[in-house]
Amino acid sequence: MNVLHIAVKDLGILFRDRGVFIQLLGLPLIFILVFSGAMQAAVGGQQDTRMPLPVVDQDRGPGARALREGIESAGGVRIDLIDQAVADEALDKGTMARALYIPANFSDDVAAGRQATLHLVSRPDADIPRTEALRLVIEGVARDMALEGQIVTSLRQMGEMMANVPDAFAALAVEQGPAQAREQFELSRNRPLVSLVTRVPQRAVTVEEEATAAQLAVPGFTVLFVFLTSQATARSIYDEKKVGSFRRLLASPISKVELLVGKMLPNVVASLIQVVVIFGFGVLVLPLLGQAPLSLGNAPLAVVLVAVLMALCSSGLGMLIAALARTENQIGGLSGVILWAMGILGGSFIPVFFLERFLGPVMRLVPHYWANSAFTDLLVRGASLADVVPQMVALLVFTAAFFTVGLWRFDFD
Amino acid sequence: MPAILEVDNLVKKFGEFEAVKGVSFQVEEGEVFGLLGPNGAGKTTTISMLTGILAPTAGTARIGGYDVRTQMAQAKTLNGLVPQDLALYPTLSARANLEFFGRVYGLKGRDLKERVADVLRVVSLTERADQAIETFSGGMKRRVNIAAGLVHQPRLLFLDEPTVGVDPQSRNHIFESVLRLNRERGMSIIYTSHYMEEVELLCSRAAIIDEGRIIALDTIKNLIAMLGGGVIHVGVERADPTTRDAIAALPMVKEAVLLAPSVAAPPAPGAEADLHERAPLATGSVIKIVTEHSQQAVVSVIGYLNTHDIMLTSLEILEPNLESVFLHLTGKKLRD
Repeated sequence: MNVLHIAVKDLGILFRDRGVFIQLLGLPLIFILVFSGAMQAAVGGQQDTRMPLPVVDQDRGPGARALREGIESAGGVRIDLIDQAVADEALDKGTMARALYIPANFSDDVAAGRQATLHLVSRPDADIPRTEALRLVIEGVARDMALEGQIVTSLRQMGEMMANVPDAFAALAVEQGPAQAREQFELSRNRPLVSLVTRVPQRAVTVEEEATAAQLAVPGFTVLFVFLTSQATARSIYDEKKVGSFRRLLASPISKVELLVGKMLPNVVASLIQVVVIFGFGVLVLPLLGQAPLSLGNAPLAVVLVAVLMALCSSGLGMLIAALARTENQIGGLSGVILWAMGILGGSFIPVFFLERFLGPVMRLVPHYWANSAFTDLLVRGASLADVVPQMVALLVFTAAFFTVGLWRFDFD
Repeated sequence: MPAILEVDNLVKKFGEFEAVKGVSFQVEEGEVFGLLGPNGAGKTTTISMLTGILAPTAGTARIGGYDVRTQMAQAKTLNGLVPQDLALYPTLSARANLEFFGRVYGLKGRDLKERVADVLRVVSLTERADQAIETFSGGMKRRVNIAAGLVHQPRLLFLDEPTVGVDPQSRNHIFESVLRLNRERGMSIIYTSHYMEEVELLCSRAAIIDEGRIIALDTIKNLIAMLGGGVIHVGVERADPTTRDAIAALPMVKEAVLLAPSVAAPPAPGAEADLHERAPLATGSVIKIVTEHSQQAVVSVIGYLNTHDIMLTSLEILEPNLESVFLHLTGKKLRD
């Protein structure tokens, strides 16, 4: 019960401080607005809502170009040309959901009416409706191209036959023309131009490259500012010690653990309020400002659990800071710099799936990474609760470590 | 009267430094007991051990029969602490502060509201109860600080230097509150201060503490009586043990002590200082004389000095009070 008394008192103090409101809510919203707005402007002022389709064009001929243009002109799909090596690696690593491979000699084969096989490589864990939609578009365009090729080929063959046969056999050649064309069309049906290939995944989750600016900015800055809130816990403990009320509480019938948990609890509440307000802003307000809304993914319970674990972890970090810091400057200045650095390292500014390529496993040393990774999976990739269990366990481990070390190093004297 | 507090050879070490070196004393139920000593003497550390803020290194204490080493949770319910610092939340109102500290001690509902209203009356701050502490004067903050230690009606209240930085009017108000609490509610109070007038005014008994040790413990009357009729410091051009002994044998003189010479005046040849205490005013040697009656002793000392052709260089008469008792016992002033 004493834990609640302390927490309620501290929340009362916290919410009387306008500066805290600015740090808790004002700054993150400003960051999100600026960041997502800038990202949107960088891609042309309007959010490109077309589905991206990475294409490896090994042919580069007129047939391949016609195919690409046909797919794009069908609407709803944006072609991104990439190298084969990049595509292969990205598909293996799971950083790309799917890619279309156009083989060499595609143009010649189509022009000659020979079978040419396109490969739409899709990871099994990619979003199935999206893959299916792309397959239908590609198949439609390819079928038209094949039909056109067959017609042209048949007409050419007919022309050649008519030019070479003696007049006495002209009537026979005219009868053979339609039969030849029918044979070509039959061939086209039985030997489809597009085949769909599925690869075995090496990673559990695939990145959906079509994440919006809001989906990247909102969770990243939420994580950054929730962990910055740990400074409030540290400052609250420091202030309590400084004015002497900590001594008074130690002299009252409160255990030391109760006292520290009571000091941590307001940070948990404040952090959760932060998450609700910032996510709410992303879902409801960003669209009103002409930006793409934040999607909360397919597992809202998982989002809530990750938010709670992140808030606990931030509070534990606050206690650790309070235990290690000896001066006000160490809490306000030094720890602030460290928390911002951890945010940068942990993918709060640059999405984890980009930063991982550069920093690799170093990112895993900070709790921000695990929170960002969980939110990216849930909000961007549409992952389920089970998919983010590793990240939740990591956050729990960080929380336990911060609390244990904090308690061990805490100077109650 | 039974003892509400029994302290037995309490020791506190911080690493190699021994802040409290085995203090023992008792406080009776309904008593106002003073802990008098200069800053850094060990008063706050002693209180911290008795209130559960610090664990004793050795020794123990019992509060209302509860051992502070093994039954601190029970002992804490009997204690109230008014720390030296203004241990309050500046942005909260006086009432919100008091309600919070009341809740911490298990008070709730109507009982809590009545207790808060009561202590606000005790410190005369009912009118300002709903204003934020940060808008209060220093004296008013001190009064709320005291109220916060009273809200759960402790049997034993620790007041640790409660008048530091307080204007005279607020100080008087605090004195009245302390005396009223003791008289009307029978609250036992331990009052620490380095202001001897406060301890003389408020306490029936006091322990004088210096460098972590209790160097005297008695009623205020008996402590002051240690100095008899007062102390005089007689500065002379030169003094030696023979002069000291002769003065000690004069009428109305209880004791004579040759103080260490001041820096400016080297000791007379053959003279050895009895104490490390430095002569406070003299430019030569100084003899400290404990008298049975200071004015009559002055007459006989001056007569002796004239007779023996010893030049008087200074004369200081110290009224018998706790300040001079402390000086007498330690050779230091309380506010050094």
